[in-house]
Amino acid sequence: MGSRAAYVYVAPFFIIFAAMGLYPFLYTAWVSLHKVSLAKPNAMSWVGFANYSHLWSNHFFLNALKNTFTIGVISTVPQLLIALGVAHMLNYTMRWRTFFRVALILPYATSVAAATLVFSQIYSQQYGLANWVTGLFGVHNIDWLNNKWASQTAISTIVTWRWVGYNALIYLAGMQAIPGDLYESAVIDGASRWQQFRFVTLPGLRPTILFTVIISTIGATQLFAEPLLYGSGKPNGGGLNQFQTLGLLMYQQGWANRNLGLAATTAWTIFLLIVVLVLVNVFVMRRITRESKG
Amino acid sequence: MAAMTTTAPAVRRSRSGRSGQAGGQQRAGKFTYFLIAIITLLSIFPLYWTLVSGSHTNAQMAETPPPFVPTGDFFHNLSMAMQRQDLWRALLNSTIVATVVAVSNVLFCTLAGFAFAKLRFRGSNVLLMLVVGTLMVPLQVGIVPLFMLAAKYHMIGHLQAAIAPYLVSAFGVFLLRQYLIAALPTELVEAGWVDGASTFRIFRSIVLPIARPAMAVLAMFQFLMAWNDFFWPILVLNNRNPTVQVALNGMGTGYIPQTAVVMAATFFVTVPVLVAFGFLGKQIVGGIMQGAVKG
Amino acid sequence: MFMARKQRQALVGAAVVAAVAIAGCSSSKGTSSPKASDTGTASSAATQASSPASPSVDNTPVTLTIGLFGTFGFKEAGLYDEYMKLHPNVTIKEDDVEQSADYWTALQTKLAAGSGVDDIQGIEIGFVADVVANHADQFVDFNKALGADAANVKSSFYDWKWQMASTSDGKTLGLGTDAGPEAMCYRPDLFKAAGLPSDRDTLAQDWSTWDGFIKLGQQYMSSPTKPKGSTFLDNPASIFSAAVYQGKEAYDTPDGKPDYKNSDGVKTAWSFASQAAADGISAGLAQFGPDWNKAFANGAFAAISCPAWMLGYITGQAGDAYKGKWDVAPLPGGAANWGGSWLGVPTASKHQAAAVALAEWLTAPAQQVKMFTSQAHFPSSKTAAEDPAVASATSDYFNGAPIGKIFGDSASKLQMTPIGPFDTQIQQAITNALGTIVTNKVKPDAAWNAAVAAADQAIGG
Repeated sequence: MGSRAAYVYVAPFFIIFAAMGLYPFLYTAWVSLHKVSLAKPNAMSWVGFANYSHLWSNHFFLNALKNTFTIGVISTVPQLLIALGVAHMLNYTMRWRTFFRVALILPYATSVAAATLVFSQIYSQQYGLANWVTGLFGVHNIDWLNNKWASQTAISTIVTWRWVGYNALIYLAGMQAIPGDLYESAVIDGASRWQQFRFVTLPGLRPTILFTVIISTIGATQLFAEPLLYGSGKPNGGGLNQFQTLGLLMYQQGWANRNLGLAATTAWTIFLLIVVLVLVNVFVMRRITRESKG
Repeated sequence: MAAMTTTAPAVRRSRSGRSGQAGGQQRAGKFTYFLIAIITLLSIFPLYWTLVSGSHTNAQMAETPPPFVPTGDFFHNLSMAMQRQDLWRALLNSTIVATVVAVSNVLFCTLAGFAFAKLRFRGSNVLLMLVVGTLMVPLQVGIVPLFMLAAKYHMIGHLQAAIAPYLVSAFGVFLLRQYLIAALPTELVEAGWVDGASTFRIFRSIVLPIARPAMAVLAMFQFLMAWNDFFWPILVLNNRNPTVQVALNGMGTGYIPQTAVVMAATFFVTVPVLVAFGFLGKQIVGGIMQGAVKG
Repeated sequence: MFMARKQRQALVGAAVVAAVAIAGCSSSKGTSSPKASDTGTASSAATQASSPASPSVDNTPVTLTIGLFGTFGFKEAGLYDEYMKLHPNVTIKEDDVEQSADYWTALQTKLAAGSGVDDIQGIEIGFVADVVANHADQFVDFNKALGADAANVKSSFYDWKWQMASTSDGKTLGLGTDAGPEAMCYRPDLFKAAGLPSDRDTLAQDWSTWDGFIKLGQQYMSSPTKPKGSTFLDNPASIFSAAVYQGKEAYDTPDGKPDYKNSDGVKTAWSFASQAAADGISAGLAQFGPDWNKAFANGAFAAISCPAWMLGYITGQAGDAYKGKWDVAPLPGGAANWGGSWLGVPTASKHQAAAVALAEWLTAPAQQVKMFTSQAHFPSSKTAAEDPAVASATSDYFNGAPIGKIFGDSASKLQMTPIGPFDTQIQQAITNALGTIVTNKVKPDAAWNAAVAAADQAIGG
């Protein structure tokens, strides 16, 4: 039903998309099978899957893979949980609601560059705000730049800070879409507020949550600007590459080391990785919601 | 937080949601206000800090403790920024770019998102996978071919070049699809078919009103994304015809309170966005509320 | 990005020197503020030495675009206005990108795509070897383009500056703007507190070698009277990035192939720098990071190797309160250079002749003198550096140090080491590893292995 019309609906999107999204995407796949320098991008020599096999035995790639995973987890999980809580709160009737909502989107409206600059000051080792706060709890002089876990935590807070409001608004929109009669019948069934949240709100938000999980996973896997700017613009992600992410590694390979072929390989590997992660996400989400329904 | 509320959530979907009249939604408790206030403070702090560092030299910012209050030097720094870059033009250009991007995204992504959510058509799964797939490709690697395209069509230096790659987004289609799956009851669409309405009419009178909250959210996100993007615009624009981020990036001329000048300029170009959202915020909230009431 | 970054930062700060250091400079005439006419007369000889480019360029109106990064300061020094007055048919428009890394990314992309370049492009030292090795066919050869002027122009530059932008088959792809001859900047008050000599002549003798420098560092660190929390040096990179250019080779063989493992420059520079790192003489503050910036004013370190352009940076970071508290002495171990740029004309330019004429004029000795007096950019033109307005300049901010002489000596003694397209990446790999000796207590041997892995990845990977 509506089959022909469907094509008309998706056509404008796909025409633009083919030129601006699909073409670079496929070109990247093609490039990844070549040895090609940024200095001479038209001089490509075919190497098959050599770039891919090189990558999987490469210390820097494996390191970046691990970093991307750990930074991804410690930024995405708290980010989405906080956003869910915030959305829940914003869903109440309250004074200055518009003000709060606009204020929440503020971090997203701040450019990454300005945000990272401010956070670099906060995480300054000697006189930073962060060390002042941890000092109150008896932990002194954390090296937020050179210590692996500290630096990854610092970057994760930048990411979390920038994206909590964004996700909260998406959740809020999703919450507004849940039919009210579901809550009514839940109340009639004697459900507590927590049970309403658990058995009405959460299942109702399922597509939205899945959406944000996928988008955040993708964002985390591609994380680039924050670690770049946190490391004062250097692509190595700290002296021991302690916070070099895959996105940053790709930038280093392509634009600092001028190895476009390898950078494209990393890009496609990131892509394949995301496909796997998204499938896992979808699978897990299905399991969770099925249980909650059952 | 739920513990703080007294009214049943079921009633909260009345039309009065925007003003929150009695008998409307659940009311926020003190604890909720407290938490929201803290989160709001955290959200605002870096912008405030931009203002502070926009009015002090690097040396002053290096003092312990650093200054916590902005000063009148902010305006001095801002005027220095103005001398170097045409910030008004940059604001105008960014407004054009971001608006076109937002409108185009909302239009095309809602159409496609609706089709993916509620219409069955051959190849839809493959096409959807394609959409989600490109979400996953980092922009940087596609930049050489994109740049060649822009150059081929003589867009370098013109705003079109900054707009073109962002006209549609896989993100938007995905957002609208996920939203409409939940928010748009299939029976409504089917009822439309039964009544003999054209797809377009169904789209206009059934889909659009329901999609409004997600459209509003998408518009806002894409506007801000286009406003803050710098990697691509720096490649294709220059500071004879800059967007805001290009102008900020070209601020590096000369004098030492460099950071202060850039921060003053950053603050200056961020405020209009916030003011706009202060006003539009109401509209967006309104959109969300109206959308929540079934079409 | 190491050199790239520094260049931007340098340029960021440079103009303040105009206001603080140079304007406060007493020239040979002993006035505290230079008059415009001084500059004019002082450099008149230079102007004659290489007259502005071919007046044979026709007079049809032309708009020239010039793409730069950080600040070259041409606009601020009024050079565009001056040129447009001299050539009413020419309109100059400048494109400026703040970070040289962003600029280079963009320029590489444009060169790769074969379009979108400006009529004149700035080329930073970290990238000039790449231009020479990979983009020689995309830039105008000045030896040809300058015609009869070529020999004159060439002889006005320091030879090493000219060679760095020249290919092995004799093309010259860029005309030098500023240079970055190095010295050692230090805090006499902190030295005094730690019982070290503090006047620049004594220091010049005591640290004529890096061994002597490290000895002073050890003395500083073991002094019970030094300010608490203060370290002798900012970062081991301060030693490394200077000392590496004091050998016969730095990172490459004479034909421009990466060969850092067998280079005498790298070997000695590493041994001194890693020793300083392991001995605790040096802090591990990331250069151009927030803590490093603050340290100029809070005394977290007492010495730092400084190219001419860094004076402006120090002035800006430390602020007026530290006027007279910093000083400049010659660099240990001989001359070295850090930073500097060129102007190139892409062959894709539609106004090559006019662009060449403008590039020639902007980099001519008379203009380089103006760039020093108004923007504190040290000349890459030998003729300009020997001009009294440069050679006898002193800096009040830096305790009256004869900066013209110190940096001029360094520039004239400089021996060019071969350069290659991966120097920036190799240097960054090594200085990163040096930093981890301090910050992460990595053993020097392990740090070297890490540096080799990262550098080889850059070269081959």
